Amino acid sequence: MILSSLCVAYAGLLALALAMDRHHEQVFARRPSARTSRLLGWAGWLALALSLPPAVMAWGWAIGIPAWLGLLTVAAAALVLLFPHAPRIALRLGPAALLCAPFPALLG
Amino acid sequence: MKDGFRQSMAWLHTWSGLLLGWLLFAVFLTGTIAYFRQEVTVWMQPELHGSVPDAGTAERAVERMGQLAPDAAQWTITLPGERTPAVSVSWRPADAKPNDRAALKRATLDAGTGALLEPRETAGGNFLYRFHFELYGMPRETARWIVGIATMAMLVAIVSGIITHRRIFKDIFTFRPEKSALRSWMDGHVAAAVLALPFHLMITYSGLLLFMTMLMPWAVDLAYDGNRQAYFAESGFRRAPPTPRPAPQAAPLTPVAPLLAGADRRWADRGGVGSLTVTNPGRANATIELRPAESDSIGRGAATERLMFDGVTGRALEVPPADPQPAAMATGNYLMGLHLARFAGPGMRWLFFVSGVAGTVMVGSGLILWVVKRRSQRGRADTRADARADTWADGPEPFGHRLADRLNIGVVAGLPLAVAAYFWANRLLPTGLGERAGWEIGVFFLAWAAALLHAPLRPSRRGWAEQLWAGAALFALLPVLNLATAAGHLGNSLPAGNWLLAGFDLTALAVGLLLGFAARKVGRNAVARKAAPASALPAGAVVEELT
Repeated sequence: MILSSLCVAYAGLLALALAMDRHHEQVFARRPSARTSRLLGWAGWLALALSLPPAVMAWGWAIGIPAWLGLLTVAAAALVLLFPHAPRIALRLGPAALLCAPFPALLG
Repeated sequence: MKDGFRQSMAWLHTWSGLLLGWLLFAVFLTGTIAYFRQEVTVWMQPELHGSVPDAGTAERAVERMGQLAPDAAQWTITLPGERTPAVSVSWRPADAKPNDRAALKRATLDAGTGALLEPRETAGGNFLYRFHFELYGMPRETARWIVGIATMAMLVAIVSGIITHRRIFKDIFTFRPEKSALRSWMDGHVAAAVLALPFHLMITYSGLLLFMTMLMPWAVDLAYDGNRQAYFAESGFRRAPPTPRPAPQAAPLTPVAPLLAGADRRWADRGGVGSLTVTNPGRANATIELRPAESDSIGRGAATERLMFDGVTGRALEVPPADPQPAAMATGNYLMGLHLARFAGPGMRWLFFVSGVAGTVMVGSGLILWVVKRRSQRGRADTRADARADTWADGPEPFGHRLADRLNIGVVAGLPLAVAAYFWANRLLPTGLGERAGWEIGVFFLAWAAALLHAPLRPSRRGWAEQLWAGAALFALLPVLNLATAAGHLGNSLPAGNWLLAGFDLTALAVGLLLGFAARKVGRNAVARKAAPASALPAGAVVEELT
């Protein structure tokens, strides 16, 4: 559950970052079109919203929300450190995280 | 007007952050470690490392108490859990007054054998925990006031920082370590602040709440006519077990195993039974009170569910349900519970720890930024050799800048070094030493004082590099020290899956590597500066944006 939340949160933050010119350029060496940018933004917010339920299911509302915020911090910190040094890895981790996300939920 | 407002907020941010920044750095750093204070204490008591709990631990402990303190008025037995491997017991001698905490006797038992353990005298993680809100060696109330004022300054710095930094969401993922020193420190400072912003707000505000009755006592004093004990009692935050009144007739204690089995099933998702309190043991009116290992909800404190049994017949007794709390009390308790993270399992504890590290980095980078910014404003003469680094293009470095820089070295690099020295002292000081816990703390302060004295004697960059390297070595070698001085080293703890002990060693190693990385970077930058004298800092534009 916790890992599911973290994986989805990472993918969401990655999409939000790629919706920004600066980070899109870091990864793809060009600016995103307005359409791409908007789509990525929506996808990012959707994923962020979807990352909350696993945390609340695991911990309940009272602890789940602070825990979710903590997971967002960890995911965002990973992005911040990866972008300047290994932007391609930051990108590839996105789909990988989405693929992994259902498994912790299925396992427990 | 708008710019004027933001300017004044920037000024407020800078000075509220700087003046108490060094203290705040220490508070954040030690407070972050305090999330693992029990784990730290266990590591610092290698005598406990061999204790392995099993299914019979609770029963064994009760039996052992019957031999250790047959005439006591009350026993409290805290069972081992995820965060501690041994049984801690305390008992109240028959002749002690009911509220006299000092009269309590304490001991530690081996969970597997029930044997009395004699762990070395140490303040363990508790010292770092206490230090983070009441410092050391000064009256408790004074120290709490000092930390309370610093916390208030922190809150001011956070709020004014949010106002100053208008592009929070645009810059949220921005970190440009390859850019100028000023730019990358700024990015780092903002990233650490913004990424964990909910945590920073929560931890600072709830920290003030914890001091509430001290900082703002008037409401309580008015409503309860100055009787704060009455307030605490009525608020239900503390719930004491029944007061012992031993009956004259002796009677054997009922076997505890069936009671525990039932309670363990009931509290399966809360870590099973965490502690048991036996009141009037060996008497006809004995009672046994069981509590779960984890509280059922955050912020309930001691007012959590419990089970009571007749200590002779084993019959379940009626327990008044925990009182519902008024909304304001529940909110306050919730925030204070978050601060203390008492409810937190290992995953949650790590999240808090990471956020705490972010907070420490935020304060530390803010302090460094103050110096870096002033340096770039003055236009540093980068061509000079490091030995003359204190000479500036337009004259010597002002005293205030130099003072701040050297304090930064002694605190930001020196404090981790002192913490590592504290752990080293724990293993190297002889176990029989009198006042041993005090000596360990003494080593901590000696190491810190040495770092603070060393900083002004060295050129800035060398001071940074030397202290960071020293801290890196001390931390990275802690697992080796553990290997040499205790059985709970990585060679044993990893194969046994003992993450309680392995976690400490691995974290120490990681901290050592990080400090080493920082030290290398400081050293490399010094070389790069000498090699490329023309790398002038793009002071103008950036500085304008920052002020």
